[in-house]
Amino acid sequence: MVNKVLSEQGAGGITTTAIRIRESGIERRARFRSLAEPLSLLVALAVLIGVFSLLNERFLTASNVQNILTQSAIPLIVAVGATLVILLGSIDLSVEGVMGATGMTWILLSANSRGGVDLGPWAWVIALGVALLLGVASGLIFTALKVPSFIVTLGMWYVGLGIATMLYGTDLLPRLEDEGLKGWTSRISLGLPNSFWVALLVIGLGILVLRSTRIGRVTLAIGNSETIVRSAGLPAFRVKVAVFAIAAVLSGLGGILATVQLDIGSPTVGSGVLFIVIPAVVIGGTHLSGGKGGILRTVLGVFLLTILNNGLILSGVESSYQSAVTGAILVAAIVFAAWSQRDRLRVAK
Amino acid sequence: MSDVTAPPAVLHLDGVSKSFGSNRAVRGVSLSIQSGQVIGLIGENGAGKSTLLKILSGNYRHDEGTIAVNGQAVQFRGPADALRAGIGVVHQEQSLFTNLTIAENIEVNTPIGRGGVNRLGLYNWRRLYADAAKALDLIGSHLDPKTRVSDLSFVDRQMVEIARAIRVSAASHTTPLVILDEPTAILERTETAILEREISKLRDIGSVIFVSHRLDEVMRICDRVVVMRDGELIADRPVDDVTEDELFRLMVGRETHAALRSRRGIEPESSPIISTHDLSRAGEYTDVSINAYPGRVLAILGTSGSGRESVARAIFGAEGFDSGSFSIAGYSGRHLSIKKAVALGVGYVPAERKTEGMVGEMPADQNITLTHPGSAALGPFELPHRRRSLARMWFEKLDIRPREPEHMLQDFSGGNQQKVVLAKWLNSTHLKALVLDHPLRGLDPGAAETVNAQIRSACDDGAAIILIPDTIDEALNIADDIVVMRDGRISGVFDLGHDNPATLDLLERML
Repeated sequence: MVNKVLSEQGAGGITTTAIRIRESGIERRARFRSLAEPLSLLVALAVLIGVFSLLNERFLTASNVQNILTQSAIPLIVAVGATLVILLGSIDLSVEGVMGATGMTWILLSANSRGGVDLGPWAWVIALGVALLLGVASGLIFTALKVPSFIVTLGMWYVGLGIATMLYGTDLLPRLEDEGLKGWTSRISLGLPNSFWVALLVIGLGILVLRSTRIGRVTLAIGNSETIVRSAGLPAFRVKVAVFAIAAVLSGLGGILATVQLDIGSPTVGSGVLFIVIPAVVIGGTHLSGGKGGILRTVLGVFLLTILNNGLILSGVESSYQSAVTGAILVAAIVFAAWSQRDRLRVAK
Repeated sequence: MSDVTAPPAVLHLDGVSKSFGSNRAVRGVSLSIQSGQVIGLIGENGAGKSTLLKILSGNYRHDEGTIAVNGQAVQFRGPADALRAGIGVVHQEQSLFTNLTIAENIEVNTPIGRGGVNRLGLYNWRRLYADAAKALDLIGSHLDPKTRVSDLSFVDRQMVEIARAIRVSAASHTTPLVILDEPTAILERTETAILEREISKLRDIGSVIFVSHRLDEVMRICDRVVVMRDGELIADRPVDDVTEDELFRLMVGRETHAALRSRRGIEPESSPIISTHDLSRAGEYTDVSINAYPGRVLAILGTSGSGRESVARAIFGAEGFDSGSFSIAGYSGRHLSIKKAVALGVGYVPAERKTEGMVGEMPADQNITLTHPGSAALGPFELPHRRRSLARMWFEKLDIRPREPEHMLQDFSGGNQQKVVLAKWLNSTHLKALVLDHPLRGLDPGAAETVNAQIRSACDDGAAIILIPDTIDEALNIADDIVVMRDGRISGVFDLGHDNPATLDLLERML
């Protein structure tokens, strides 16, 4: 009986009403989503900047802003790769190990205080090749042997550290000899620190890859449902390995820049980066379960954390308290960021 | 049957069989479909429909028999082959990437370099959107290809799936055959009407195999109905020559006995087990006052925006409310947790069975004793042998098949899973009320009847039932009281003991 009603008067009246209600709902939801999430991050960022500039007048000076940009450059570069990996629904913990191995390889093949060879640009290629190898290894083990990425990359972290320590050996510290490179990362070109220009380039490329290439789109699709990706015949295997490789190369790049910044080669050159990068991705709103999020949000997350660190130091928080304060603020920020994603039945895993 | 001069059938099956070990899931199925036809495929869960569909979609290879598409014999090695031959399947469980746009989902099967993605893997978004819009246009849908799938309702997602299914054959100018596997199983009535209209449009561009458990729909939409039972195709009839009752008998192998329930008005001296007073939740519902009496089924009708599911969850404590009050079995308060609701004797069968109603990776018997161990418990412990005999009892009583309670619940068919979910609550020694959110969703008529019979029997034992039905007919069939909601407010209350609302009457209050 219902159906007769619908077919007699329905085609015009009832169904179009239903469609209209539905469509207005679609628009409302989409509009809300695109505004609300990044907006809350921007507000948090503005509040943080406001508070710190009130606490310390040196905070908003040009030199400190450049300082913040230099400090954020390396985490930004690494975080672009980390975002891609997390969008897959995986995680890459090997960041600091890859940075160490790449940085050590690079400095030993460049002009340094230990002498040895100076391969110039080839040092970059070979060092990034080491990063690529580590990334491909993680990706292959994770994908082909179906081991959780958490464990694979945790191991790879120490493999990287091990390689770096072996290269470091028992000899003297390798110091950077090239005067042109010394301090290059924080030198200003066109108003911004050099390393920040590199970060901007990487961010731009990352956004392009994520928005408009097959690797990027399949990454998002895998994060949503790998089963559907496979049954649709999309290249899940290749994309997963590629994403781990990209992430490792970006970590490697970060490792080289960190070595330049430090002036000396050290296996632990990446120390502390992981603790900024992963929280930054999460605070940015990229879901750890994959599929949702983006690079620009991560950029905001990195800024939030770098400014937090910088501001705390300037505000004279004692260094012994600082890591506890940073950690606590981090947890608070993540609770805040995850608030909108809570499950209906309040289940969290 | 077909004329000698007629063009070759879009799809022709001859003696197709498929076995899994000793189990012959599909036995000697022969079937022919002409262009422009809509064929209804019905059968109980486990009758072999899914296996047959998987053979057609290229997921399984058949052991015997031949398949011909447009007169050409084919052998599918994978889903891609089936797509290329023009067969697109819209599965029961949606297979869309909800985080991507409509366009990307539709274009996902388009070979690289032939659509919006060039050989280097770079996206040409303008081309991608245009191609997707063309596919949507073909089925008469005006969705914006740039919309993200997560923002779509279920019926719109179904349209996207259909557009994807016809995309490949539309590009190669062959006649598409779209297989819809229970597309209406979880749709609201108004949404079903929209989908039905879209299906009839597919008639102009190709043919359709429509799998459904709702016999009335099959009768309305299809030209022919084929019935499967125990892996065999046992009937192939034009819809004009067959009745719903006959189809039910063919499918299940027995007569229907859906006797109408005799109804009485609410007894003057009885008091409600569950009552809410001016319950409100921002954005969902406003001032909802309902009373559920012992021994009566209260059905809440409404469309998807009516807030009725949210009210049901509030009564079970699964979702909070902003203002108003409730009283459950003599307890009233401002807040209700699931724990409290369960302690008060409320049970809840959620619409999202797989994620909220069951633990798939746990044996069926443990699922039954999960909330209320009943006689299986000895103090804080649970005795396995008692649990097993308890489970055997429920398996018999609810006719849960196969009779293997120690198997993982996820390996059972949907209808049998639902019976286990129901048994979990019926196992309570102090069941006062049951909140049922779409309990018959995706169930075949046989299973639906068993579930309904259990709902009635729990009701006769004095429980109050609050039911969110799939259809108006389901409400009229089983309910004693009907509450209609529209846009979060109650728009009608009927006591079927006195009132006899017409379907149109109810529908008008819903929309």
